[in-house]
Amino acid sequence: MKKFDIELAVGFFLLLGILSLAYISINLGKLEIVGRDGYTVYAEFEKAGGIKPKAIVEIAGVEVGTVKSVDITGDYRARVELTIDKDIKLQEDAIASIKTKGLIGEQYVQISPGGSDKFIPNGGKIRETESAIDIEELISKYVFGKI
Amino acid sequence: MRQKIAGKLLVLLLGILIFCLFPHKTTAGEPTDQVKETVDSVIKILNNKDLKKPEKRHERSSKIRAAIEKRFDFEEMAKRSLALHWKNRTPREQEEFVSLFSDLLEDTYIKKIERYEDEKVNYTDERTDGSYAVVRTKIITAKEIEIPVDYKIFKKGQKWEIYDIVIEGVSLVNNYRTQFNQIIRSGSYEELIKKLRKKTVK
Repeated sequence: MKKFDIELAVGFFLLLGILSLAYISINLGKLEIVGRDGYTVYAEFEKAGGIKPKAIVEIAGVEVGTVKSVDITGDYRARVELTIDKDIKLQEDAIASIKTKGLIGEQYVQISPGGSDKFIPNGGKIRETESAIDIEELISKYVFGKI
Repeated sequence: MRQKIAGKLLVLLLGILIFCLFPHKTTAGEPTDQVKETVDSVIKILNNKDLKKPEKRHERSSKIRAAIEKRFDFEEMAKRSLALHWKNRTPREQEEFVSLFSDLLEDTYIKKIERYEDEKVNYTDERTDGSYAVVRTKIITAKEIEIPVDYKIFKKGQKWEIYDIVIEGVSLVNNYRTQFNQIIRSGSYEELIKKLRKKTVK
Protein backbone atom coordinates (compact mmCIF):
# COMPACT_ATOMS: atom_id res chain seq x y z
CA MET A 1 0.00 0.00 0.00
CA LYS A 2 2.83 2.32 0.96
CA LYS A 3 4.77 1.48 -2.22
CA PHE A 4 1.78 2.34 -4.36
CA ASP A 5 1.62 5.83 -2.85
CA ILE A 6 5.26 6.57 -3.71
CA GLU A 7 4.76 5.43 -7.29
CA LEU A 8 1.71 7.62 -7.58
CA ALA A 9 3.61 10.63 -6.25
CA VAL A 10 6.52 10.02 -8.66
CA GLY A 11 4.10 9.71 -11.55
CA PHE A 12 2.32 12.88 -10.52
CA PHE A 13 5.52 14.90 -10.32
CA LEU A 14 6.78 13.48 -13.60
CA LEU A 15 3.55 14.52 -15.27
CA LEU A 16 3.85 17.96 -13.70
CA GLY A 17 7.40 18.21 -15.03
CA ILE A 18 6.35 17.27 -18.55
CA LEU A 19 3.49 19.76 -18.47
CA SER A 20 5.75 22.58 -17.29
CA LEU A 21 8.25 21.69 -19.99
CA ALA A 22 5.51 21.84 -22.61
CA TYR A 23 4.32 25.17 -21.25
CA ILE A 24 7.83 26.64 -21.31
CA SER A 25 8.56 25.46 -24.84
CA ILE A 26 5.27 26.82 -26.14
CA ASN A 27 5.87 30.12 -24.42
CA LEU A 28 9.49 30.50 -25.44
CA GLY A 29 8.88 29.33 -29.00
CA LYS A 30 5.90 31.64 -29.25
CA LEU A 31 3.89 28.75 -30.59
CA GLU A 32 0.30 29.50 -31.13
CA ILE A 33 -1.97 26.60 -30.37
CA VAL A 34 -5.02 28.69 -30.93
CA GLY A 35 -4.64 31.01 -33.91
CA ARG A 36 -4.74 34.76 -33.43
CA ASP A 37 -8.25 36.05 -33.24
CA GLY A 38 -8.33 38.27 -36.29
CA TYR A 39 -8.95 38.63 -39.97
CA THR A 40 -6.70 38.11 -42.95
CA VAL A 41 -5.44 40.72 -45.39
CA TYR A 42 -2.85 40.39 -48.13
CA ALA A 43 -0.14 42.77 -49.21
CA GLU A 44 2.14 42.47 -52.22
CA PHE A 45 5.65 43.84 -52.17
CA GLU A 46 8.39 44.16 -54.77
CA LYS A 47 10.86 43.09 -52.13
CA ALA A 48 9.90 41.51 -48.85
CA GLY A 49 13.37 41.96 -47.41
CA GLY A 50 13.37 38.52 -45.82
CA ILE A 51 10.33 39.04 -43.63
CA LYS A 52 9.28 35.83 -41.92
CA PRO A 53 6.06 34.38 -40.57
CA LYS A 54 5.28 35.58 -37.03
CA ALA A 55 6.87 38.96 -37.73
CA ILE A 56 4.98 41.75 -36.02
CA VAL A 57 2.51 44.10 -37.70
CA GLU A 58 2.50 47.54 -36.10
CA ILE A 59 0.43 50.67 -36.13
CA ALA A 60 1.97 53.59 -34.25
CA GLY A 61 4.44 51.20 -32.66
CA VAL A 62 1.74 48.98 -31.22
CA GLU A 63 1.40 45.35 -32.26
CA VAL A 64 -1.90 44.85 -34.07
CA GLY A 65 -1.22 41.60 -35.87
CA THR A 66 1.31 39.16 -37.24
CA VAL A 67 2.61 37.88 -40.55
CA LYS A 68 0.99 34.54 -41.21
CA SER A 69 2.78 33.45 -44.33
CA VAL A 70 4.98 34.73 -47.12
CA ASP A 71 4.96 33.36 -50.63
CA ILE A 72 5.73 34.40 -54.17
CA THR A 73 3.22 35.35 -56.87
CA GLY A 74 3.22 34.41 -60.52
CA ASP A 75 5.05 37.59 -61.47
CA TYR A 76 7.75 37.15 -58.82
CA ARG A 77 6.47 39.55 -56.23
CA ALA A 78 6.26 38.77 -52.56
CA ARG A 79 2.79 38.11 -51.20
CA VAL A 80 2.52 38.52 -47.47
CA GLU A 81 -0.49 37.22 -45.57
CA LEU A 82 -1.24 39.25 -42.47
CA THR A 83 -3.50 38.45 -39.57
CA ILE A 84 -4.89 41.65 -38.10
CA ASP A 85 -6.69 41.87 -34.76
CA LYS A 86 -10.40 41.97 -35.45
CA ASP A 87 -11.04 45.25 -33.68
CA ILE A 88 -8.49 47.06 -35.86
CA LYS A 89 -9.98 48.40 -39.06
CA LEU A 90 -7.76 49.24 -42.01
CA GLN A 91 -8.79 51.90 -44.49
CA GLU A 92 -8.50 51.19 -48.17
CA ASP A 93 -5.71 53.73 -48.56
CA ALA A 94 -3.67 52.43 -45.65
CA ILE A 95 -0.01 51.93 -46.54
CA ALA A 96 1.91 48.83 -45.49
CA SER A 97 5.69 49.12 -45.37
CA ILE A 98 8.36 46.64 -44.44
CA LYS A 99 10.73 48.23 -41.99
CA THR A 100 13.77 47.17 -40.05
CA LYS A 101 14.21 47.80 -36.34
CA GLY A 102 17.43 49.76 -36.25
CA LEU A 103 20.09 49.12 -38.84
CA ILE A 104 20.37 45.37 -38.46
CA GLY A 105 17.32 44.57 -36.39
CA GLU A 106 14.39 42.34 -37.19
CA GLN A 107 11.92 43.10 -39.91
CA TYR A 108 8.35 44.12 -39.23
CA VAL A 109 5.37 45.43 -41.14
CA GLN A 110 4.27 48.96 -40.38
CA ILE A 111 0.87 50.16 -41.40
CA SER A 112 0.05 53.83 -41.63
CA PRO A 113 -3.72 54.29 -41.47
CA GLY A 114 -5.41 56.14 -44.28
CA GLY A 115 -8.38 58.45 -44.41
CA SER A 116 -10.75 56.58 -46.70
CA ASP A 117 -14.30 55.73 -45.69
CA LYS A 118 -13.95 52.24 -47.10
CA PHE A 119 -12.34 49.52 -45.04
CA ILE A 120 -10.44 46.47 -46.21
CA PRO A 121 -12.59 43.35 -45.69
CA ASN A 122 -11.45 39.92 -44.52
CA GLY A 123 -9.37 38.41 -47.32
CA GLY A 124 -8.88 41.84 -48.90
CA LYS A 125 -5.69 43.42 -50.10
CA ILE A 126 -3.67 46.42 -48.96
CA ARG A 127 -3.04 48.07 -52.30
CA GLU A 128 -0.52 50.63 -51.19
CA THR A 129 2.76 49.09 -50.13
CA GLU A 130 6.34 50.15 -49.68
CA SER A 131 8.99 47.49 -50.13
CA ALA A 132 11.89 46.90 -47.83
CA ILE A 133 14.62 49.43 -48.47
CA ASP A 134 17.93 47.82 -49.10
CA ILE A 135 20.34 50.24 -47.48
CA GLU A 136 23.36 48.41 -48.84
CA GLU A 137 22.04 48.68 -52.36
CA LEU A 138 21.30 52.36 -51.91
CA ILE A 139 24.74 53.10 -50.54
CA SER A 140 26.49 51.16 -53.26
CA LYS A 141 24.44 52.89 -55.90
CA TYR A 142 25.54 56.31 -54.80
CA VAL A 143 29.05 55.30 -53.87
CA PHE A 144 29.92 53.37 -57.00
CA GLY A 145 27.73 55.44 -59.24
CA LYS A 146 30.10 58.36 -59.10
CA ILE A 147 32.89 57.44 -61.47
CA MET B 1 -21.28 28.58 -102.28
CA ARG B 2 -23.81 30.44 -100.25
CA GLN B 3 -23.08 28.25 -97.28
CA LYS B 4 -19.40 29.08 -97.57
CA ILE B 5 -20.08 32.81 -97.46
CA ALA B 6 -22.38 32.34 -94.51
CA GLY B 7 -19.62 30.36 -92.80
CA LYS B 8 -17.10 33.12 -93.39
CA LEU B 9 -19.56 35.70 -92.15
CA LEU B 10 -20.06 33.68 -88.99
CA VAL B 11 -16.31 33.55 -88.38
CA LEU B 12 -16.10 37.30 -88.90
CA LEU B 13 -18.96 37.95 -86.50
CA LEU B 14 -17.38 35.63 -83.94
CA GLY B 15 -14.13 37.53 -84.34
CA ILE B 16 -15.83 40.85 -83.72
CA LEU B 17 -17.61 39.41 -80.73
CA ILE B 18 -14.35 38.15 -79.19
CA PHE B 19 -12.72 41.47 -79.99
CA CYS B 20 -15.51 43.28 -78.17
CA LEU B 21 -15.43 40.93 -75.21
CA PHE B 22 -11.72 41.41 -74.60
CA PRO B 23 -11.05 45.06 -75.29
CA HIS B 24 -8.32 45.13 -72.63
CA LYS B 25 -5.89 43.42 -74.95
CA THR B 26 -5.95 46.38 -77.30
CA THR B 27 -5.89 49.07 -74.63
CA ALA B 28 -3.07 47.47 -72.62
CA GLY B 29 -0.51 50.11 -71.86
CA GLU B 30 -3.03 52.92 -71.57
CA PRO B 31 -1.73 53.94 -68.12
CA THR B 32 1.84 53.95 -69.40
CA ASP B 33 0.83 55.93 -72.47
CA GLN B 34 -0.84 58.60 -70.41
CA VAL B 35 2.02 58.92 -67.92
CA LYS B 36 4.48 58.96 -70.80
CA GLU B 37 2.53 61.73 -72.49
CA THR B 38 2.91 63.94 -69.41
CA VAL B 39 6.56 63.08 -68.81
CA ASP B 40 7.37 63.72 -72.45
CA SER B 41 5.59 67.06 -72.46
CA VAL B 42 7.55 68.14 -69.36
CA ILE B 43 10.84 67.03 -70.90
CA LYS B 44 9.95 68.95 -74.05
CA ILE B 45 9.48 72.13 -72.03
CA LEU B 46 12.74 71.48 -70.20
CA ASN B 47 14.63 70.97 -73.45
CA ASN B 48 13.20 74.07 -75.04
CA LYS B 49 16.27 76.25 -75.56
CA ASP B 50 14.26 79.41 -75.86
CA LEU B 51 12.71 78.88 -72.42
CA LYS B 52 16.10 78.28 -70.82
CA LYS B 53 16.96 81.97 -70.99
CA PRO B 54 17.03 83.58 -67.54
CA GLU B 55 14.32 86.11 -68.39
CA LYS B 56 11.94 83.27 -69.33
CA ARG B 57 12.42 81.43 -66.07
CA HIS B 58 9.01 82.29 -64.80
CA GLU B 59 7.30 81.27 -68.01
CA ARG B 60 9.18 77.98 -67.98
CA SER B 61 8.13 76.98 -64.47
CA SER B 62 4.53 77.98 -65.03
CA LYS B 63 4.47 75.84 -68.18
CA ILE B 64 5.87 72.86 -66.27
CA ARG B 65 3.32 73.49 -63.56
CA ALA B 66 0.48 73.44 -66.06
CA ALA B 67 1.69 70.19 -67.64
CA ILE B 68 2.00 68.49 -64.25
CA GLU B 69 -1.34 69.73 -62.98
CA LYS B 70 -3.07 68.01 -65.86
CA ARG B 71 -1.94 64.58 -64.73
CA PHE B 72 -1.67 64.85 -60.95
CA ASP B 73 -4.68 64.61 -58.71
CA PHE B 74 -3.52 66.96 -55.97
CA GLU B 75 -6.77 66.63 -54.08
CA GLU B 76 -6.43 62.88 -53.81
CA MET B 77 -2.77 63.24 -52.81
CA ALA B 78 -3.63 65.81 -50.16
CA LYS B 79 -6.45 63.64 -48.85
CA ARG B 80 -4.26 60.57 -48.63
CA SER B 81 -1.45 62.53 -46.97
CA LEU B 82 -3.69 64.01 -44.33
CA ALA B 83 -5.29 60.56 -43.90
CA LEU B 84 -7.18 60.32 -40.60
CA HIS B 85 -7.26 64.06 -40.11
CA TRP B 86 -8.94 64.76 -43.44
CA LYS B 87 -12.39 63.81 -42.20
CA ASN B 88 -12.18 66.17 -39.23
CA ARG B 89 -11.78 69.19 -41.45
CA THR B 90 -14.52 71.38 -42.79
CA PRO B 91 -14.92 71.57 -46.60
CA ARG B 92 -13.34 75.02 -46.55
CA GLU B 93 -10.35 73.82 -44.58
CA GLN B 94 -9.99 70.89 -46.95
CA GLU B 95 -9.97 73.21 -49.92
CA GLU B 96 -7.37 75.42 -48.30
CA PHE B 97 -5.25 72.42 -47.45
CA VAL B 98 -5.34 71.07 -51.01
CA SER B 99 -4.14 74.38 -52.40
CA LEU B 100 -1.36 74.68 -49.80
CA PHE B 101 -0.33 71.08 -50.38
CA SER B 102 -0.15 71.45 -54.15
CA ASP B 103 1.93 74.61 -53.71
CA LEU B 104 4.27 72.69 -51.45
CA LEU B 105 4.66 69.86 -53.95
CA GLU B 106 5.16 72.21 -56.84
CA ASP B 107 7.70 74.30 -54.98
CA THR B 108 9.65 71.28 -53.83
CA TYR B 109 9.58 69.25 -56.99
CA ILE B 110 9.59 71.80 -59.78
CA LYS B 111 12.87 73.15 -58.46
CA LYS B 112 14.25 69.63 -58.68
CA ILE B 113 12.82 69.02 -62.11
CA GLU B 114 14.25 72.29 -63.38
CA ARG B 115 17.74 71.04 -62.73
CA TYR B 116 17.15 68.31 -65.27
CA GLU B 117 20.07 67.54 -67.50
CA ASP B 118 19.57 64.95 -70.19
CA GLU B 119 18.17 62.28 -67.95
CA LYS B 120 16.53 59.41 -69.76
CA VAL B 121 13.29 57.80 -68.70
CA ASN B 122 12.75 54.09 -69.27
CA TYR B 123 9.32 52.56 -68.85
CA THR B 124 9.97 49.17 -67.34
CA ASP B 125 6.65 47.74 -66.24
CA GLU B 126 2.97 48.35 -65.82
CA ARG B 127 0.49 46.61 -63.60
CA THR B 128 -3.22 47.21 -63.70
CA ASP B 129 -5.60 46.12 -60.97
CA GLY B 130 -9.14 47.22 -61.75
CA SER B 131 -9.23 50.99 -61.81
CA TYR B 132 -5.81 51.25 -60.18
CA ALA B 133 -2.44 50.86 -61.87
CA VAL B 134 1.26 51.26 -61.29
CA VAL B 135 3.59 52.50 -64.01
CA ARG B 136 7.18 51.67 -63.19
CA THR B 137 9.94 53.77 -64.66
CA LYS B 138 13.64 54.24 -64.27
CA ILE B 139 15.30 57.60 -64.57
CA ILE B 140 18.83 57.20 -65.87
CA THR B 141 21.05 60.13 -65.05
CA ALA B 142 24.01 61.35 -67.04
CA LYS B 143 26.22 59.47 -64.59
CA GLU B 144 24.37 56.25 -65.42
CA ILE B 145 22.72 56.02 -62.02
CA GLU B 146 19.32 54.39 -62.19
CA ILE B 147 16.61 55.86 -60.02
CA PRO B 148 13.42 53.79 -59.88
CA VAL B 149 10.31 55.96 -59.93
CA ASP B 150 6.86 54.35 -59.76
CA TYR B 151 3.73 56.28 -60.58
CA LYS B 152 0.61 55.12 -58.79
CA ILE B 153 -2.40 56.06 -60.82
CA PHE B 154 -6.12 55.52 -60.79
CA LYS B 155 -8.81 55.91 -63.36
CA LYS B 156 -10.97 58.98 -63.09
CA GLY B 157 -13.46 58.93 -65.92
CA GLN B 158 -11.45 58.40 -69.06
CA LYS B 159 -8.28 59.79 -67.58
CA TRP B 160 -5.64 58.13 -65.45
CA GLU B 161 -4.48 60.41 -62.68
CA ILE B 162 -1.46 60.13 -60.44
CA TYR B 163 -2.14 59.89 -56.71
CA ASP B 164 1.28 58.84 -55.43
CA ILE B 165 4.90 58.67 -56.55
CA VAL B 166 7.28 56.08 -55.17
CA ILE B 167 10.92 57.06 -55.56
CA GLU B 168 13.56 54.50 -54.58
CA GLY B 169 10.83 52.55 -52.83
CA VAL B 170 9.76 55.50 -50.70
CA SER B 171 6.19 56.68 -51.12
CA LEU B 172 5.64 60.43 -51.26
CA VAL B 173 2.20 60.17 -49.68
CA ASN B 174 3.46 58.01 -46.83
CA ASN B 175 6.34 60.40 -46.19
CA TYR B 176 3.97 63.36 -45.87
CA ARG B 177 1.40 61.28 -43.99
CA THR B 178 3.93 60.50 -41.27
CA GLN B 179 5.13 64.09 -41.04
CA PHE B 180 1.67 65.66 -41.04
CA ASN B 181 0.47 63.18 -38.44
CA GLN B 182 3.40 64.01 -36.19
CA ILE B 183 2.85 67.73 -36.47
CA ILE B 184 -0.89 67.46 -35.82
CA ARG B 185 -0.53 65.02 -32.92
CA SER B 186 2.20 66.99 -31.17
CA GLY B 187 0.76 70.39 -32.01
CA SER B 188 -2.39 71.15 -33.88
CA TYR B 189 -3.79 71.34 -37.37
CA GLU B 190 -3.36 75.11 -37.27
CA GLU B 191 0.34 74.62 -36.65
CA LEU B 192 0.61 72.42 -39.73
CA ILE B 193 -1.11 75.06 -41.84
CA LYS B 194 1.23 77.70 -40.43
CA LYS B 195 4.24 75.59 -41.35
CA LEU B 196 2.94 74.91 -44.84
CA ARG B 197 2.25 78.60 -45.39
CA LYS B 198 5.74 79.51 -44.27
CA LYS B 199 7.25 77.00 -46.68
CA THR B 200 5.23 78.01 -49.67
CA VAL B 201 5.45 81.77 -49.26
CA LYS B 202 8.21 83.26 -51.33
